[in-house]
Amino acid sequence: MLSPSLRIERARPLLGTTVSIRVEGLAEAQAHRAIDEAFCEVALVHGLMSFQERDSDISRLNRDACFQTVEVHPATFEVLHWARRIAEASDGVFDITIGPKLVEWGHLPAPQSRYAPDPEASWRDVELGDDYSSVRFRRPLWIDVSGLAKGYAVDRAIERIQQFCARQACVNAGGDLRVLGPDEERVALELPMPQDALPMLTIQSAAVASSSGHVQERIHDGTIRGPHVDARRGAPIPTSRFACVVAEECLIADALTKPVLALGAESEGLLRAFGALAHCHDPTLGWRHLPKDAA
Amino acid sequence: MRAQFVLVPFATLGIVAPAHAVVYMSVAQAQAMMFPGATFAPEFKTLTKQQVSAIEKASSVDVHNNDLKVWRVSTGGWFIADQVVGKHEYIPLALGLDAQGAVKAVEILEYREAYGDQVRNPAWRSQFTGKKHGAALTLTKDIQNISGATLSSRHITDGIKRLLATYAIAIAQD
Repeated sequence: MLSPSLRIERARPLLGTTVSIRVEGLAEAQAHRAIDEAFCEVALVHGLMSFQERDSDISRLNRDACFQTVEVHPATFEVLHWARRIAEASDGVFDITIGPKLVEWGHLPAPQSRYAPDPEASWRDVELGDDYSSVRFRRPLWIDVSGLAKGYAVDRAIERIQQFCARQACVNAGGDLRVLGPDEERVALELPMPQDALPMLTIQSAAVASSSGHVQERIHDGTIRGPHVDARRGAPIPTSRFACVVAEECLIADALTKPVLALGAESEGLLRAFGALAHCHDPTLGWRHLPKDAA
Repeated sequence: MRAQFVLVPFATLGIVAPAHAVVYMSVAQAQAMMFPGATFAPEFKTLTKQQVSAIEKASSVDVHNNDLKVWRVSTGGWFIADQVVGKHEYIPLALGLDAQGAVKAVEILEYREAYGDQVRNPAWRSQFTGKKHGAALTLTKDIQNISGATLSSRHITDGIKRLLATYAIAIAQD
């Protein structure tokens, strides 16, 4: 007989972090199959969308797409499509063409490339074909999709587990996570600085992603630069800020943490457009919950 | 989608286990999963000084432990149980290699990373001293997840690099 409380959780190093997958309410062999297949989805995204790995779709684009049309996997195309929608909705605060800034600040290694990226290039120069597979750059540029690919991988993994009819499941890629099922789960939020209270979310069938730059600070030209960029100004976002976004899908939650970090309260319209909520912390302003009327 | 945000004052929180610890699977479970139906013959080794320095040179990763727990798999391949140094703790992991020495599977066996640096900070921890009353929340049991800045798994990928060099130097050549 199937024990309703049977809970199986496994973890693997993927996407540059630790990805854990938990499944409840499936027979043991079935649970392991579901987890194996979910890890395959994460590994697929890892292989296609790494900035560092030479044969990824992203590396191929950064090498060739400003000279010729490049065919990419449907998953890569989907991520680029969402990147464009979020860039449009955020008026370019979210922009996957910030790769050169992250290379300059030491967060990413320089890709093997035959050209220097054009500092004027933006998300508008990434041309997506009507065939859902071809991509071309209108100017020399480097893209980096690590601001939303992790969330996308979590969504693909959860959707795969959904096909196995698990009662409850969670996929967590280093703190960007999505929970499926009727149970409420608690998520502790970890801020850059020690606080006098523990910030905690109780969620049910939702995705959560958080961003803060303190873990990956680099010093460049004498100033501290985290891994997040306000793409409109090309300026680093202060690393003491923290943003957590809750959404139906982890891609949305993951991507929106960056414009929320950059814009604070000005990101309300953006959050509404994607049905998302945000909890932001700033050492001077304290906690802010957005949109304001969303309880 | 439902979500509710609360700030739980530490004074009302009896945190029993400040570290987030999850046991995913045992060595035996990892063996059975990576190589179904196989039997495992232990060929544990102690790395020599020369092997340690060759491994460090080949992988650019320090070797902290010269005891190597390796099993020969009856159906071909190797199984290694090892641990890598995380940000603060050891993270036990299992590596399955096929007969050619290529990675077949990696599973993290336990994860014991702390709730960030906060719990390492004595001032933060002192808040809990003598505060065991109230609803006791344990970070492992009652709080299923932690979300914050993404922690890198660099130490794990480095550990795998080291084990692949170990395979080439101390297992394949034996």
